Amino acid sequence: MSYFNVEEKVEEYKKLLNDSVDFSSRIYKKDDQEVSLIFLKSIIDQELLSNAVFLPLQTYEKPLDIDNLQNKILKCAEVKEIKEEKVIDEILNGRVIIFTNFSDKIIAIDLFKFPTRVPTEPPTSPVIQGPREGFVEDIQTNITLIRRRLKTDNLVIKSMEIGTESKNKVAMCYLKDVANDDLVDKVYKKLKSIVINGVVDSYYILSFLEERPDSLFKQVGGAEKPDIVVSKILEGKVAIIVDNSPIVLTIPFIIIEDLQNSNDYYTNHHYSSLIRIMRLIGLLIAILAPGSYLALQIYHYNILPLNFLITIADTTLGLPFTPFLEILFIFLLFQILYEVSLRLPSYLGLATSVVGALILGDTGIKAGLISPPGVIIVALSKIALYTIPEQASQITVLQVVFIILGGALGVMGVTAGLIYLVNYLNKIDSYGTPYLAPYSPRIPADLKDAIITSAPTQMDELPKSFSPKKSKKVEVKKDEE
Amino acid sequence: MKNKISMRQAGILILILIFSNKVLLLPALMFDYVKGDAVISLILIFALEFISVPILLKLKQTFQDQKLYDILQKYLTKYVAKVLYVIFLIFIMLKAILTFSIVYVYFKQQIYQEEFVSIALIAFLPIMNHATISGLKPMARTMELFFFVILCGFLFCLGIAVYTPLSVPDFFVASAGKIFNSIYRYAFAFGDFIFLFMMIEKIDYKKSEEKKIYFYAILGYVLVILLFVLFYAKYEMTSFMHNDALADLLAYSVRFNAIGRLDIIAILTLLFTTIFQMEIFCYAFCDSLINIFPLMDKRYSVAIFDVFFLILYYVFIGNYEIMVDATVTYFPPLGIFIAFVFPILIWIISRIERRKNEKTT
Repeated sequence: MSYFNVEEKVEEYKKLLNDSVDFSSRIYKKDDQEVSLIFLKSIIDQELLSNAVFLPLQTYEKPLDIDNLQNKILKCAEVKEIKEEKVIDEILNGRVIIFTNFSDKIIAIDLFKFPTRVPTEPPTSPVIQGPREGFVEDIQTNITLIRRRLKTDNLVIKSMEIGTESKNKVAMCYLKDVANDDLVDKVYKKLKSIVINGVVDSYYILSFLEERPDSLFKQVGGAEKPDIVVSKILEGKVAIIVDNSPIVLTIPFIIIEDLQNSNDYYTNHHYSSLIRIMRLIGLLIAILAPGSYLALQIYHYNILPLNFLITIADTTLGLPFTPFLEILFIFLLFQILYEVSLRLPSYLGLATSVVGALILGDTGIKAGLISPPGVIIVALSKIALYTIPEQASQITVLQVVFIILGGALGVMGVTAGLIYLVNYLNKIDSYGTPYLAPYSPRIPADLKDAIITSAPTQMDELPKSFSPKKSKKVEVKKDEE
Repeated sequence: MKNKISMRQAGILILILIFSNKVLLLPALMFDYVKGDAVISLILIFALEFISVPILLKLKQTFQDQKLYDILQKYLTKYVAKVLYVIFLIFIMLKAILTFSIVYVYFKQQIYQEEFVSIALIAFLPIMNHATISGLKPMARTMELFFFVILCGFLFCLGIAVYTPLSVPDFFVASAGKIFNSIYRYAFAFGDFIFLFMMIEKIDYKKSEEKKIYFYAILGYVLVILLFVLFYAKYEMTSFMHNDALADLLAYSVRFNAIGRLDIIAILTLLFTTIFQMEIFCYAFCDSLINIFPLMDKRYSVAIFDVFFLILYYVFIGNYEIMVDATVTYFPPLGIFIAFVFPILIWIISRIERRKNEKTT
């Protein structure tokens, strides 16, 4: 009795896959037994295919039997039986499909392989001390990197597929004895409800996960290093790994996370506190410096110390622009230079710096178009912005807003803007966690790892901000005490 | 708890309100009336006003999450509750205008050299409106975050004053009658606990955290009393001429001239405090309005606040002296009622309720 016409099957699937150039098939005939193998050669391990599939098939001398084929002949880790409606999906996921004329069973062999890079230090999160591994584009490698650091049966990794066309694998990781159940349910439901044609990177699903997607501020964290993600999972957060993306998302996210850096945990905590204070000052300078300078220059020059006022008056005398337009002009100049430096090939970077710093900056001052204090203030705010590179885009928008407020309303505008901003941030909750926690509202227990950090030995509690299931990092059993 | 503020946030809110109307013009006005005894008068007012704290906590314990309006309605009928809320509306609006006028004059003199009516309005009104629409929780959280800034600014001003030549102010110069009369005369600048009474259902009450409310109220009182003492010690008999007490504490600080102009600290402290006070006034006004007209949308109530505020603002902004004069001449009964009589009324109500509960149990 003949079950499948293997040649017809090959033709059928070739058509279904649009005669794709990477479509490949092989038919084995032995006596009256026929076996066809269908696969996409671009996404499978061809060496393994030869050694673990072709060779055993060719050398097997007895009559073929489907159970033998599945369990003995094929030397692969994952060989399973599938239904015919799943064949296309399985082929697209890097599996070799076997049809035979002596059984109605269809067998899929996992030989998926595509070029991946080795985990290297990501350029956005370099460290002086500490682990240098970074995530890669392969979800399996990324899961392995997490699994290697969390050897516990409490680690849950749920997998799903997102994207009607891209069919991306997405994995959700958390510790079942730490992560809040409501949080896990909410994230899982959000992921399940995502309807999108393709997920090119994890940032494609980021706005679907945010509770206020229209907000300027991100409510989902992202990290490129497994040590960072694992530390967040240990705190009770949920990590979302997306295939083809080296950025792992973490939920919930609070703004203080961007003031923290993995370096902080690998150095002395006194030094970490100092660095975090510097970052906060950098953040404030980045947001407020240009607007405050404008406010002082236009409205409140009498507040400035006399010597500073004379310097400003000397350097701004005869400028063709008003202070407001001057700052906007310099800001625009910096932004253009920044955009250009991002897009230019690296060998042209030096030339851009020369043009930017010398020709535009120096000559602009000498020509009397812009003033040195204006250049210094804008440059300072632009450099300070990169103390927290994760928030660079948001801070740039805020810089423009505060320039307008400072120029139009003076110090009153800047102060009002700042209060408005904080009030707005206080309205944002990331999956039930206040965005400005642990400062607003004040959560004393979480202040140990805020701007001023405590020694790691004192950080024995899990952050209350994320409502973890247990309060202590390590719960000592009574009989151990 | 959802949409509720913590006891600490409530404490910070009351501390910010205690600064309201008291740190700029009031020390000079009170000195003009009772000289150095203004400090005694202030301590007496604070002592009387402080009774509101245990009353407030008892009310919260007794009625838990009930709204003040509902409590008043239950015990004093619907019409009396509405009348009381209309009185609150008047008090809040007048207080908002008075606070804003005083700060406006200060800023005009200090940092904005010319008229800046529109600047002040553009800076203040949208932020008050936004905070009100956002709700009490984000507002209280924002205050909690900036509390440290306000406290540091205030302590800095007091600290600098210590380093200038000071003399012990003369106490017991005015008669007892005049001191008591000053309590009546300046009562309108007080009565800030009314705002906590009005927001009582939004406080996440925890018995173990009661001390936080006491702490912040006492801290506010101590800071204001210190300000009065240092101000009088610094300016002595000319105190009545200095209308900007907090900022004037920083003047003539020769030792710190090398740093530059220090009054930016006072300016920023006042700006933060005033914006928060105005947010609370706007929120309380809209909340009262919604209680009187339950079907009213929050946005409409904000619009009504803006209209009233703008009208009164333009009427009084050029007649700042008339406003201050009216405050000490016509408004004292309103201040006395809000600051001292209303809490007693509330205390009686909670007592009756507790008796009733005791009987039923």
